[in-house]
Amino acid sequence: MSIIKTVDVKKWFGDFQALKGISMEVAEGEVLVICGPSGSGKSTFIRCINRLEQHQEGEIVVDGIELTNDLKNIEAIRSEVGMVFQSFNLFPHLTVMQNITLAPIWVRKKSRSESEEKAMELLERVGIPEQAQKFPGQLSGGQQQRVAIARALAMEPKIMLFDEPTSALDPEMIKEVLDAMKELAESGMTMIVVTHEMGFAKEVADRVMLFDEGLMVEENTPNEFFDNPKNDRTKLFLSQIL
Amino acid sequence: MISNNKFFIENPYGRWVRDNLFSSSSSAFLTFFAGFMVIYSYRGIVGFILNPERMWTSVTYNMKLYMILAYPDEAMIRVWLSVGLALILGGLSIGFYNSGKSISLGGIFQKLFTISAVIALLIALAPTNTNVIQNDGSIEAVEIIPQDVRMLILGPSLVLTLAFFFLRNIKIKNLFNTAKVNLTYFGLIIGSLYFIKIPTISLDSSGERIIPDPFLPIASTTYIPWTILYVGMLLFFFIGSLLKNKDVKIMSRLIPIAWFLCPLFIFSWIFKKPLVELNTVFSADIPSILVFGIIGFLIIRFSDNESIGVYRTPINIGFFILSVVVFLLPLVFIFKATMVLLLLLLVVSPAIATTKEGKRQLFIVWVVSLFVLTFLIRGASSDTMLVTPTGSIFGGFSLTWLLAIFGTYASFPLGLALALGRTSTLPVIRIICTGIIEIVRSVPYITWLFFASVMLTVFLPAGVEFNLIIRVLILTAFFSGAYFAEYIRGGLQSIPKGQYEAANAIGMNPFQRIFLVIVPQALRTIIPTLVGSVITSFKDSSLVAIIGLFDILRIGTSVIPAQSQPVVFIGRNLEQLVFLSFFFWVFTFVFSRRSMKFEKRLGLGER
Ligand SMILES: Nc1ncnc2c1ncn2[C@@H]1O[C@H](COP(=O)(O)OP(=O)(O)OP(=O)(O)O)[C@@H](O)[C@H]1O
Ligand SMILES: [Mg+2]
Repeated sequence: MSIIKTVDVKKWFGDFQALKGISMEVAEGEVLVICGPSGSGKSTFIRCINRLEQHQEGEIVVDGIELTNDLKNIEAIRSEVGMVFQSFNLFPHLTVMQNITLAPIWVRKKSRSESEEKAMELLERVGIPEQAQKFPGQLSGGQQQRVAIARALAMEPKIMLFDEPTSALDPEMIKEVLDAMKELAESGMTMIVVTHEMGFAKEVADRVMLFDEGLMVEENTPNEFFDNPKNDRTKLFLSQIL
Repeated sequence: MISNNKFFIENPYGRWVRDNLFSSSSSAFLTFFAGFMVIYSYRGIVGFILNPERMWTSVTYNMKLYMILAYPDEAMIRVWLSVGLALILGGLSIGFYNSGKSISLGGIFQKLFTISAVIALLIALAPTNTNVIQNDGSIEAVEIIPQDVRMLILGPSLVLTLAFFFLRNIKIKNLFNTAKVNLTYFGLIIGSLYFIKIPTISLDSSGERIIPDPFLPIASTTYIPWTILYVGMLLFFFIGSLLKNKDVKIMSRLIPIAWFLCPLFIFSWIFKKPLVELNTVFSADIPSILVFGIIGFLIIRFSDNESIGVYRTPINIGFFILSVVVFLLPLVFIFKATMVLLLLLLVVSPAIATTKEGKRQLFIVWVVSLFVLTFLIRGASSDTMLVTPTGSIFGGFSLTWLLAIFGTYASFPLGLALALGRTSTLPVIRIICTGIIEIVRSVPYITWLFFASVMLTVFLPAGVEFNLIIRVLILTAFFSGAYFAEYIRGGLQSIPKGQYEAANAIGMNPFQRIFLVIVPQALRTIIPTLVGSVITSFKDSSLVAIIGLFDILRIGTSVIPAQSQPVVFIGRNLEQLVFLSFFFWVFTFVFSRRSMKFEKRLGLGER
């Protein structure tokens, strides 16, 4: 049973076609890694899944709900789908604790104490319980990104989307974020990860996809993808990145 | 040579002097030059103030005029209630939000040392003589500070300075809470009202002025209310501290709400005549609130109803036509004004009332705005006001203050609404808001004031007569609101797109996104600008003199210098100007210092 299903999704920015018909499915608990050259439409695609971007043609069904213009559907889906951004996008005017509890309190209507308890659990899970009362500006990049993961998890999403979560980080901080994501994958979360961290893809992914110029050109198991790619485009991409 | 002297290396004061004043020969020159200029102008100012030509009694004698003009004596209690409300709330907030910062005894003496040293220096530098122009045009030096008087003041202040200098190093572990120390200082100021004597004017039994003017104690009608208010403030300070210690969370919501409502109460106390009019409350206000409350409820309830979908546009158009009709019919003004609010609700509700919680919140906001609107309109029309239609019995500092506070108070939400409207995706709202902002900003404030005084009545529906003060208030709200709107819009634009996306991604609705994520950040970035514009509107309020209102500046420049009864103050302009500049300076200085602290506290969350 697939939790995300897209059929021939197309997306234009003005005259420019960023997605040229993407069809795919993600099963519950699956970890999917998407890679591809810059400008190939990876971000655009995963942003369509929680409707930060609107697709113009095709069909996207998330957890049985089809994405249309209906506001109610969109808000329902957004609270099922967590998202982690390349640039963290934490709320700088709120403490780490407030960042994490904001959505549970206001969107999920949970009590403050319950949300704070849950937030502490999440912070422990990503390894920074001691930073709860600090402001985002006082944390390192790696810590901020882990707060962002905790913030997304606080909504208890069924699916997590990651858009290049480590590419704004210094090398020594990448590992701590990847570790948090690995732990999340092992706990059975459904994840779509756009990344260039091939080590992560090999180790954690159930499937790897390659996007190029708005098309999905390869879809494979990690082993096959790296050792025995079907498509020439993949070989070229791998030779450039590895 | 100076840099090699032992004193300038080992002593911290000496080092400061060397590093900041005499670091190079050019800076030494600048130091001497600036010092000479400062001393020269200081002596000039003192000479001016103590010149026997001056008549400071023209200020002290008219203090009440300066504060409230000719506000009826029997209604004075309302003024005291207003000040009291503010002080009590202040005490409560200081107690509740007390940061627990404390100062050591040595620290207190350090401050006292600085103050008394400055005073001693000022006395020592004061001039002995000043020039007075004689009747025949010649200039003659007149002694203003006799040597013995100077010694009499300088001696004790030097002794105090020395004493504080040594007490500074006192090693007592006890720490004093800064809030309590400040309250004590305030108490000392109030206490001094019992002792100090000020030069004033007395008339003897035949109505002749007693010369020379005596120094008299301050009237009991001044110090007794202040004492009561101070005690109330102290009491509420302790209540606040108690609530803080008991960790009463609800207070952190109640106090801001109380501050929000405070100006409304003050507004009604100051102006309404009589205070409550049960008759109109039952015949017009309650029915209006009920009817519009129910209509609003229905709008909110069905704003996202599927089956209405197709009929939405006809319904909106119908409402629009209906409200135009209501506006033309000879109805109570409250109905008409509320109708406009209803149109607004109709437009915004589909965006906000998407969830059950959103509906609930919108409904609460709706009911509250109904009450506020009704309340304001009731207090504002001319025939229900204590003051004359031209506002001429109310003025002075109270008017300046009212214009500044109420102008800011009303213009802030208005500005926020206009800014959000201007960035809205709904074209109608965007065009209306942009239009208001641009029109208001493209015309000078003075022109708008004339508009308020002569033209506004033409535009208001028949039968509505607003007091001049109210008209000016409405106008000021719009004027500063339009400026605020542009500042806020600047702040909104400085928020990166990622913040909107992050808010969306965690499932917030547009209302939550704006008010929990975007607006708090936008406001933070523009606090310095906002503070600046509040100060500007405080000073600009003196422009209302042009249309016949008596603000503090007009009293000082044209009322008092024209007085001839019971005492002749004709031509006493200079004293008033000095007093007024000092007065404005004190307020703006305190305000900007406070806001700097505020900025620092809020700045914590910045990157
Ligand atoms: N808001 C937008 N307006 C116009 N064009 C856009 C917009 N967003 C993306 N594009 C274009 O769409 C294409 C795909 O962009 P996208 O961000 O999805 O690429 P990407 O695969 O994520 O690349 P990268 O690895 O650099 O992040 C690019 O050519 C980009 O220029
Ligand atoms: Mg991208």
